[in-house]
Amino acid sequence: MHGEIGCFDTNSMVQGADDGIGQVLQPPPPPPPMAGRTINIHNGFEENLKMSTEELENLKLSKEGLSYHHSYLHHQEEDTSAAREIQLQNHQQMAFNNTHLMQDSSNQVLAFTSSSLADASTYTSTADLFNLFHLPRCSASSLLPNSSISFTNPTHTTPLGFAGDLPMTDTASASSILYDPLFHLNLPPQPPLFRELFQSLPPHGYSLPDSRGSSLFAGEGDDHVEGSGGGGEGGLYQDGDGEQQFDNGVLDFTWDMACMGKDREAGKMTKHFATERQRRQHLNDKYRALRDLVPNPTKSDRASVVGDAIDYIKELLRTVDELKILVEKKRCARERSKRLKTEDDSIGNTGNESCSTVMKSIGDPDQSFNNGSLRSSWLQRKSKDSEIDVRIIDDEVTIKLVQRKKINCLLYVSRVVDELKLDLHHVAGGQIGDYYSFLFNTKIYEGSSVYASAIANKLIEVVDRHYASTPSTTPSTSCY
Amino acid sequence: MEFLGSAMNELCFTQESNRRGRLGRRKVEYDDTREYKSKNLHAERRRRQKLSDRLLALRSMVPIITNMNKATIIEDAITYIQELQQNVKLLSDQLLEMEGSSEEAVQTRSDEINAAEEMKNCGIMEDVQVTNIDRNKLWIKIILEKKRGRFTRLIEAMTYLGLELTDTNVATSKGAMLVSSCVEGSYGDTLTVEQTKDLLLEIIKSI
Repeated sequence: MHGEIGCFDTNSMVQGADDGIGQVLQPPPPPPPMAGRTINIHNGFEENLKMSTEELENLKLSKEGLSYHHSYLHHQEEDTSAAREIQLQNHQQMAFNNTHLMQDSSNQVLAFTSSSLADASTYTSTADLFNLFHLPRCSASSLLPNSSISFTNPTHTTPLGFAGDLPMTDTASASSILYDPLFHLNLPPQPPLFRELFQSLPPHGYSLPDSRGSSLFAGEGDDHVEGSGGGGEGGLYQDGDGEQQFDNGVLDFTWDMACMGKDREAGKMTKHFATERQRRQHLNDKYRALRDLVPNPTKSDRASVVGDAIDYIKELLRTVDELKILVEKKRCARERSKRLKTEDDSIGNTGNESCSTVMKSIGDPDQSFNNGSLRSSWLQRKSKDSEIDVRIIDDEVTIKLVQRKKINCLLYVSRVVDELKLDLHHVAGGQIGDYYSFLFNTKIYEGSSVYASAIANKLIEVVDRHYASTPSTTPSTSCY
Repeated sequence: MEFLGSAMNELCFTQESNRRGRLGRRKVEYDDTREYKSKNLHAERRRRQKLSDRLLALRSMVPIITNMNKATIIEDAITYIQELQQNVKLLSDQLLEMEGSSEEAVQTRSDEINAAEEMKNCGIMEDVQVTNIDRNKLWIKIILEKKRGRFTRLIEAMTYLGLELTDTNVATSKGAMLVSSCVEGSYGDTLTVEQTKDLLLEIIKSI
């Protein structure tokens, strides 16, 4: 316990909270009389609270000095207090030369002080203390490995960077060794990985305390992760006990500090989240609207919606062409019939013959008109249990129907075919496995203007209706 | 360092997707995670490529384009589809108005007359043949004169009388219609050849 003055870096605090805190409290008073001080815990707390900034500075220096690599070597030994004194003074000398670390160390000191002050019970207060001290730019990565980011439960682990006053558990000693060397390298406060990580996970990082934080840190905490920030944190969290609480606090700290350090950016980020979310919602609404327009929507992922829309547009274009041709044909037929009728009457032909001539004359112009434009169209309609494919070339209609075996739809389809005034030429089909499959070759009766989508829609409607109305029967020979 | 950066990106990306439990690709081991990350990345890239290709195709079909970003492509497509649907409706209504001319009825009647004549000319007689295939199955062959709606009536009659056609084949030629089909009893009862033949002859006479 005593020898652990220098082992403050990644030291986890000894289970004996009292001792740890007592150790912590030693440096706070001005450097020279540090040795041999065994301050009571409670007194120490008060004294720490009353500490001035200068004291903190001094404290920081001493801590830095103590944090030099001697510390981790001795953490498990029990030195005499005198030896400790000497060490401390030596380290202090070295620390004074090291002005580079002062700034961060002050942060660390503050952090550590507050963290050390806080018991597990008063843990939440540390966050307030931090806000109070207005630690700037204290993200996880900006602080050195010994930094306060790696706050652990004061009762369980020692915060990093504390100037050797905190005792270290045996288990954490190994980890502390790893990160001390980094400290004395005077690494600039770099936010290499962690800051980016933090900012790349904004929406969740602020809210999710435990799982994500611990996973993130623990993942980074492997030995081979060299990032200074990452290493420190990872090492700390190897102690499983106080992790839960800490992740909470750590992330809160980080967020607070990041916010304070980059106030503007954090504010903008939240605004961006809102706008981005809105934009995404609008886009999703549009996709849904597109999907609702299409007659046979299957999957509802974006690529399929767009694919279905493309097919539907093509189908609509075909239908429009077909209808235009039909209308044109109809109009021509009507005009000619009118014309011929007047002619016939004038000529005075009787009954059938006149009709036949009329029909013939109508036929020919139509043929000539349609020479260039052969009417063709094609449609597909799918529903849950049936599939209909209608193809029209000139006056021949081919209907393919596949339906899950439940009812014999031959009857219904032929009924519909008659209704649509189609002349059945050929029917083939039967039962294939679980499905009924039929193929109808029909011809459109002359003069009837039926178009593909009408056929398809009617058919599928009828089939589905009958399908739905028939209760499912046992798979026996009888199917009705 | 670039690799490290990209690795970090992948880490962030996969962290998020792991959190959302995408396809359950949670991997504990670090090396495995790396491999799964890259596989997922390829799949994700391909998915995005597919989506963007399709969006481009959609844009190429729509004649009126305002801006060229994803949202407006979809918007323009929606407007275009609605416009086309309106067109279709308009034209079909127009067609319906023009419907109902007298020539049609005359035409069909002439067809039927022709059909009957043709049949007589070729010497085709109306006929029924029934054979037993299986314990429950019969095979029937019917030749009828082709008339409008006759086939439907035939099927209707057969259905009502408990005959179900499983595999059907209908061909028409020279004014005659040939129906050959496997028939089963609708209610699971076995049918005899004689009974069925008589039944069918009756049906044909009546329709």
